[in-house]
Amino acid sequence: MKKILFIVLALSINISFIYSQERSLPNIEVKTLDGNSFNIQELENNNNPIVISFWATWCKPCKKELNNIAEVYEEWQEETGVKIIAISIDDTRSMSKVAPYVNSSDWEYEVYLDSNSDLKRAMGVSTVPHTFLLNGKGNIVWDHRGYIDGDEDELYEKIEELGK
Amino acid sequence: MKNLIYSIFIISLISSCDIIEEPYINNNGGGVDTSSNQYVKNILIEDFTGHLCQNCPDAARELEAIHDVYGAQIIGLAIHVGNTFARPYPLSQTKFTYDFRSKWGEELDNFFNITDAGLPKGMINRIGYPNDHRKDKGQWLSSVGDELSKDVIFGINISSTLLTDNAEIIINTDALKNTTGNYKLVVCLTENGIINWQKDGTLEDQNYIHNHVLRSVISSTWGDEVTLDSEINNGDSFEHSYSINLSDLENFNMDHSANVLFQGNGQAGDWDINNFGIVAYIYDNDNYEIIQVEQISISTK
Amino acid sequence: MKKNVIILGLLFSYLFTNGQDLGEIHGDFNLNLQSYLEDASINAVAADEVIRNNSYLNILFTRNNFTAGVRYESYLNALLDYDDDFKGNGIPYRFATYSTSGLEITAGNFYEQFGSGLIFRSYEEKGLGIDNAMDGIRLKYKIGNGINLKTFIAKSRTYFTYADGIFRGIDAEIDLNQAMNLTSKTKYILGGSFVSRYQQRSNPLFELPQNVGLYAGRLNLINGGWNYFGEYAYKINDPLNSIQQENVNYASGSAFTSSLTYSKKGFGITAEIHRADNMLLLSDRDRIGKAYILNYIPTLSKPHAYSLLALYPCATQAMGELGFQLDIFYKINKGTLLGGRYGTKLNFNVSRINGLNSGNSFLNDNQDHTPILISVIDEELYYSDINLEINKKLNKKVRYNLVVANQTYNKDFLEGKTPGEYGVINSTIGVLDISYKIKKGHSIRMELQTLMAKQLETASKKEEGDWVMGLAEYTISPNWFFAVQDMYNYGNEDVSKQLHYINLNVGFIKGANRFEIGYGKKREGIFCVGGVCKLVPSSNGLNFNITSSF
Repeated sequence: MKKILFIVLALSINISFIYSQERSLPNIEVKTLDGNSFNIQELENNNNPIVISFWATWCKPCKKELNNIAEVYEEWQEETGVKIIAISIDDTRSMSKVAPYVNSSDWEYEVYLDSNSDLKRAMGVSTVPHTFLLNGKGNIVWDHRGYIDGDEDELYEKIEELGK
Repeated sequence: MKNLIYSIFIISLISSCDIIEEPYINNNGGGVDTSSNQYVKNILIEDFTGHLCQNCPDAARELEAIHDVYGAQIIGLAIHVGNTFARPYPLSQTKFTYDFRSKWGEELDNFFNITDAGLPKGMINRIGYPNDHRKDKGQWLSSVGDELSKDVIFGINISSTLLTDNAEIIINTDALKNTTGNYKLVVCLTENGIINWQKDGTLEDQNYIHNHVLRSVISSTWGDEVTLDSEINNGDSFEHSYSINLSDLENFNMDHSANVLFQGNGQAGDWDINNFGIVAYIYDNDNYEIIQVEQISISTK
Repeated sequence: MKKNVIILGLLFSYLFTNGQDLGEIHGDFNLNLQSYLEDASINAVAADEVIRNNSYLNILFTRNNFTAGVRYESYLNALLDYDDDFKGNGIPYRFATYSTSGLEITAGNFYEQFGSGLIFRSYEEKGLGIDNAMDGIRLKYKIGNGINLKTFIAKSRTYFTYADGIFRGIDAEIDLNQAMNLTSKTKYILGGSFVSRYQQRSNPLFELPQNVGLYAGRLNLINGGWNYFGEYAYKINDPLNSIQQENVNYASGSAFTSSLTYSKKGFGITAEIHRADNMLLLSDRDRIGKAYILNYIPTLSKPHAYSLLALYPCATQAMGELGFQLDIFYKINKGTLLGGRYGTKLNFNVSRINGLNSGNSFLNDNQDHTPILISVIDEELYYSDINLEINKKLNKKVRYNLVVANQTYNKDFLEGKTPGEYGVINSTIGVLDISYKIKKGHSIRMELQTLMAKQLETASKKEEGDWVMGLAEYTISPNWFFAVQDMYNYGNEDVSKQLHYINLNVGFIKGANRFEIGYGKKREGIFCVGGVCKLVPSSNGLNFNITSSF
């Protein structure tokens, strides 16, 4: 009797675990560099992978990560169709520097502003950089905290895996 | 829907602004208790301070100002504590070399965790223990207001006789209500008018007048039982007496400074007995709240 | 028993055959542990409990349009750079949010910012130990046609309890192009906000306002590469509950911030100005401390990431300051002489913050002072900074960052010391940060920093003087990093303080987990984020940090 109960319990927990492994984007709005509101759930990329990277103008490793990827971004897009979204958590102190920094760095990413860290909190980010990889269906399948020179190679491997 | 939003907006605009016009001073409350009761509720403001604490004189002035408004019901006690703000400079220096600290002040600080939160901080009849007893000077006025409305439970009479170096202090406590509880009596010696260095805002004041400085606690820090009975009736009377030798107490402080206190240099003497006072208070041992306090100047007859 | 199994079985089968969205549970965890050993040379005090820790666990549950969250925090006891009132354990943050047809309702804790934060910002900054989350009800409504409305009524959190004031706020933002169907190339966004605090108090001598209101209006203009943002804020009288005439100030407060940005490919420029006068909003007017500040006036200076550049950081003076800042970003194209093979990035920044003319506004029966609007030349300088950052990739293996800066720091004023005690320090700082890629996945990064300090006026205390700093960091992607650094105060006038502050750090990162262990000596200093600062006591010991998310 107890055994049957245990099996049923274990099975359903396993199954519910599988269910909740699917991680979707929260219903939070961010601002574009043009002052428009944008709901992050509306991100889409024609069923191709999306990379969301949290950064700030005062965060050295964040800038390093995004600048290193900028050098190979064109190749990545050609090979995998990936789109990179850079979410800046700069608050009022440095928010006005985001557009000049992005433009002068020649980034081709979509950049959004999360100035009171609403999206950052909703996605469980505590320190930046923190990078998420979304599959073609818009679910988060991988994330990584921090940045070390060469981490973009691991990120690219994960992106390629999605294509297979 | 839009109209609803606009009306909410306008209502909140109108209802949430109190703009005060001149003149600003306006005696509309408070004041000295002019009732004919023999005993009134007194309030002890323990002002934790230090001579290196620039913001502390402002708190001391606030205490004086509260005393000016409410009169003798407000009794102040300046307790110099902490390594950061009350430590003396080494004797080789020319200023801030006096050590105002005492063994009892440090004990109170350790127990109530005052300097951990920065100075100036005060306790108003020690209300709010254990989470909210450290009051910023901005809160003193409202805490005093709250305390003044409480009932008087005890009346304290202090008398002292001083013969050269020895003093005999007698505390008579009258219960004004029936009450149960574990009450303790603490008796302190204070000194007024100590002129010495104090940082005051952006200045260093060589001639600052330090008032009601805690010199010694002649009962123990945590006091003596008011009575061993658990039930106290209206009209009960209790007497406590203490004999002290002032030179001994002065030497104790100097010794304690030189040998025990952090960077203490022994400069804790030069007591002027003519400026001394006695503060006696009764507190409830269960929550540390001080329920009555009294003070007199020590007489030099 | 059999009945129970059947019921449970049915329940679970319902759950997984229903095909409905079960909802998701996510969270993140952080543990920070530090050991404090006694070290007389740097005045480091040992902690009685030897190790102290801060930790928290955040859990978020989302299902369709419903989100709920909880945060458990534990301070047993809090690290020495956190306020002493962070004691014990508890759940100081919990909320539930539901959104439907453009209306979002939150009950419980929330963070919120109106405009640029001049009159209201509730936020968390774990590095500083600030968390003034609101607890109450908040409504967000998208009226449509580009009009957005936010309103709330709540109390503010301090440590594990609430501050005394009750806050009501409302904010409206209108995208004029959308609302009025304009077809102009320029985008106009207008916003207005109102916040009011109710706090009961009685004062025998002065009549005090129980309701204090703050108003703000803002404008954002965007046209191609141009972006202008301006906000003006006003606060009615908000005097301290004091009996002393000199402390009671019935003057109103005001602040404005204005920034103009232009950017295009390869070039960007930002010019900002802000002024604050008597504009501090406290969640409890009788209290002192950063835990009670509910508005945000960020310091107008560049946030520096290198340690010697941030040795003397600027704290915002919400009661009275005037600041200017200019930033120029430029990328010298690749292939040119200065640009090199990959191009060179330049960032020039200059900022200056000074006090108001004879202090902030003050009004009572004895005084009536209103400082001049813009006054720079004769005013007390609080902080100034001029710096140039050059970022260049030399070849596939080497890239470097070079920063040269000159800062002036009014230590007496900014740290609240007696004038003449520490004076005004002018420092010239140089930083060279080189990365070298040894092979795939292995890199080494080295930093060399130098600071040459000069006292602008004589000071009574011994000068801290010159510093030099060296850092070497070896990283193995994607999991490991090792770093050793030494900050050497060779120029200290006090010979016993010419110390080496050595630190070693090792870290392991895998996916969303990060472990770091470090050991070393830390200088007593000030750590600031956005102009709000905390005092970090000197320490010597081990620190351990775990961050994880699921």
